[in-house]
Amino acid sequence: MIKMFAYFGAHSTQIWKLTLEHIEMTAIAVCIAILIGVPLGILISYVRKLDKPVIGAANVVQAIPSMALLGLGIPLLGIGVLPAVVMVIIYSLLPIVKNTYTGISGIDPQMVEAANGIGLTPRQVLTRVKIPMALPVIMAGVRISAVTAVGLMTMAAFIGAGGLGYLVFAGIRTTNNYQILAGANPACILALLVDFLMGLVEKLVTPISLQKTGGISRAQMKRKRKREKFTLAAALILICAIIAGGAINNMVSGRDKEITIGGKDFTEQFILVNLCSDYIEAHTDINCFRKENLGGSQVCYEALKKGEIDMYVDYTGTLYGSVLKHDGTDDMEGVYNTCVREMKKQNITLTRQCGFNNTYTLAVSHRIAKKYNLETIENLVDKSSQMHLGCSLEFQNRHDCMDALEKAYPGLKFRKISAMDGSPRFVALANKEVDVIDAFATDGMLLKYNLKVLKDEDHVFPPYYAVPCFSSDTLKKYPELREVVDKLAPKLTDEVMMKLNYQVDVKGREPKDVAREYLKREKLI
Amino acid sequence: MIQLIEVTKAFKNNVVLDRISMDFHDGELTVLIGPSGCGKTTTLKMINRLLSPTGGKIIIDGQNIESIDKVKLRRNMGYVIQQGGLFPHMTIRQNIEIIEKLEGKDEYQILKKTERLMEMVDMDPGEFLERYPTELSGGQQQRIGVIRALANDPEYVLLDEPFSALDPLTRSSLQDELTELHRKMGKTMIFVTHDMDEAIKIADRICIMKDGHILQYDTPEEILRRPANDFVANFVGFNRIWDSPEYIRVEDFMIREPVTCDAELTAKRCITKLTMHHVDTLLVTGNENRLMGIINRKSLYSNRQPEKPARDIMLPVKYTAHPEDSILDVLKMIDQTDVSNVPVVDDLGRLVGLLTNSNLVSTLSRQYLEEPTEEVLEND
Repeated sequence: MIKMFAYFGAHSTQIWKLTLEHIEMTAIAVCIAILIGVPLGILISYVRKLDKPVIGAANVVQAIPSMALLGLGIPLLGIGVLPAVVMVIIYSLLPIVKNTYTGISGIDPQMVEAANGIGLTPRQVLTRVKIPMALPVIMAGVRISAVTAVGLMTMAAFIGAGGLGYLVFAGIRTTNNYQILAGANPACILALLVDFLMGLVEKLVTPISLQKTGGISRAQMKRKRKREKFTLAAALILICAIIAGGAINNMVSGRDKEITIGGKDFTEQFILVNLCSDYIEAHTDINCFRKENLGGSQVCYEALKKGEIDMYVDYTGTLYGSVLKHDGTDDMEGVYNTCVREMKKQNITLTRQCGFNNTYTLAVSHRIAKKYNLETIENLVDKSSQMHLGCSLEFQNRHDCMDALEKAYPGLKFRKISAMDGSPRFVALANKEVDVIDAFATDGMLLKYNLKVLKDEDHVFPPYYAVPCFSSDTLKKYPELREVVDKLAPKLTDEVMMKLNYQVDVKGREPKDVAREYLKREKLI
Repeated sequence: MIQLIEVTKAFKNNVVLDRISMDFHDGELTVLIGPSGCGKTTTLKMINRLLSPTGGKIIIDGQNIESIDKVKLRRNMGYVIQQGGLFPHMTIRQNIEIIEKLEGKDEYQILKKTERLMEMVDMDPGEFLERYPTELSGGQQQRIGVIRALANDPEYVLLDEPFSALDPLTRSSLQDELTELHRKMGKTMIFVTHDMDEAIKIADRICIMKDGHILQYDTPEEILRRPANDFVANFVGFNRIWDSPEYIRVEDFMIREPVTCDAELTAKRCITKLTMHHVDTLLVTGNENRLMGIINRKSLYSNRQPEKPARDIMLPVKYTAHPEDSILDVLKMIDQTDVSNVPVVDDLGRLVGLLTNSNLVSTLSRQYLEEPTEEVLEND
């Protein structure tokens, strides 16, 4: 508990910044959802033919997993705040549309007839009678949407939009529970706060006469409403200030020479983003905007193609096998050259390879290694029928990983394969739930959990040398980047990366600090 | 004036109004009444164009209402529904003033008017204006409903069973207030109800409807005294008229052919006539059936000359009744004067009938009998 608060204290600036981001994105999303949802709800309450299709469509959209929606959105909207906000808007629509529709069509028809009968125009009937009478119901829908949106917005971090989800995702990757809590707790408090504020709005839009008074007098009631109005106004001003602040911030920072450096969603990538950014900033006058935690290769690759980011570091094997869909090969130079040639067609320029080869490996605990006498991957083949493999989703689905493994050793048949996300597989191995896991060669977690890495003597897995990928346009605009990055690349060897990863994964330090410390110690900046 | 001309209304194949024609007279309170499904509410809603007729036309002051802008038409036509149709999210004041505000009338003038109207129905503006409808009793809400209909100073007011959800006492006082408002403001009102007592109490004219047809459209008095057919009689109720005895006229129950004698008839023959007809009095008539005097047994027997003409024996008539007098007038007269026979004389002094004590008793006792076998109150 004390450790948790210590972590919160140490990272308060970051938590605060992410909280503000979170509030900003959520507020924008909910506002837009209201602007779309309420008129839509009104429309279908008038045009009854549309009600079933529209509500049905909203229901279907609600049923799509948010992760899938984000993934599908990348080709259209790219990464960052925009698709995240769009996703949350889409999810927020249903309660708003549904409640608006229910609220308006639930009004006593006699009341509507009275409104028509005394000579209100159809528009006045809507604005002066229907909407005010349906408002409590509409606001109840908005309240549900807003609270859900706060929670849903944590998914935004998946595509690099930031927000409190960043801490949650990063925490899961690095098995840092305090970091998860640092994201989850504010999100939770935020949700409760939103619920409270929206509850006030809901109450305020309900006419005094229709509220349950609970035995208090009219005068008290009025005073109470006044207080509630004040609270709401304060909250509203605060939210506007946050949004305005964000906008101004963006404008100010947008004027400088700036490139965006992206990174995937594991520790090594966090470190690489910071290494590259710090190094570039030290040796050029270009500002680097760090966009960490962008999911897997596909997300970063799409983002780079769309110009959402200007550079990220990928691995030759990943590009070769996963992006360019070639079969595995052990020729390091051949793979690199093919990648350079073929990526150029996508308007992406690869600079010099880094000094480390973060290829896939399989790892087991020393207990298992001893029990089955395992040294190489080949040793696994005979024992595989007794083994339970825990691997990442990417490993299972890439044909240069699982497929390549099965091709190389046809006798390899695991008893069971469980696909899981990043770090949990180390925990699963430690808990003896699985026997073998996949890992990256430079993964600090290998040190943390003291695992035996099985040698890949037959070169099943392609070389995974890290290689900086630039958008060709960015390199044309800032040619000095190539020279600078080429200088840094060879310095980063297997040993260096393993140590840096270890600092973050096992010592629980921040990637940013670890990167900076290394660069300073080596006198690189 | 509102005129319905051959108005028909059908919902799909269901004809609810079948070519009805009627006029609503200016300044009158007309009640549309009938069993449910008779088309009374449909008729009302077509007048303010909440519904459109499928045939025929409705004319207001010479103009077909289809050619008048709906909103404009309705703002010149107050509308009150059951429970008032007040908007729960607005205060009483906002409810009353909504149309005037939309019309952009002067704030101060609006408030003055609102206050005046509130006072007309005995509600204190200071106490009620800022309250919400749910804080008011049903009767108070309905008063506000009526006020709202009058606020924009419309020429016409349509009321759709406004008092039917109220308890009998409240309903009664609201009926009184409505009649009073109607008398003071002289608006043309059209009032839909299914309550005959209510109709008779407030209406200038009643239109009885059934199955989309008008059965009778007349004053309450005429409907009570001369129902057009059995259905109306049944609907009105046999003894209903006893709730409004002022509508029972002398001509309804007088003896239409009393025993008379000519002024020149001799005393002897007068006695013969009395004995023959088993009556106590003879009414002496002259030229054109004019009533000249009255002869009773006492005056005949005190006369010693059998050949004396009636004109010399008869007594002057002290009290007469008019055929249009109500039964109440007659009872009062009898009570005050102790006469037992009252001749009924028209404006020109011609004898048209006679009221006797026994005749009055039999009429008055009628209300306690079950169903009269003959037609109501048609006493021949």
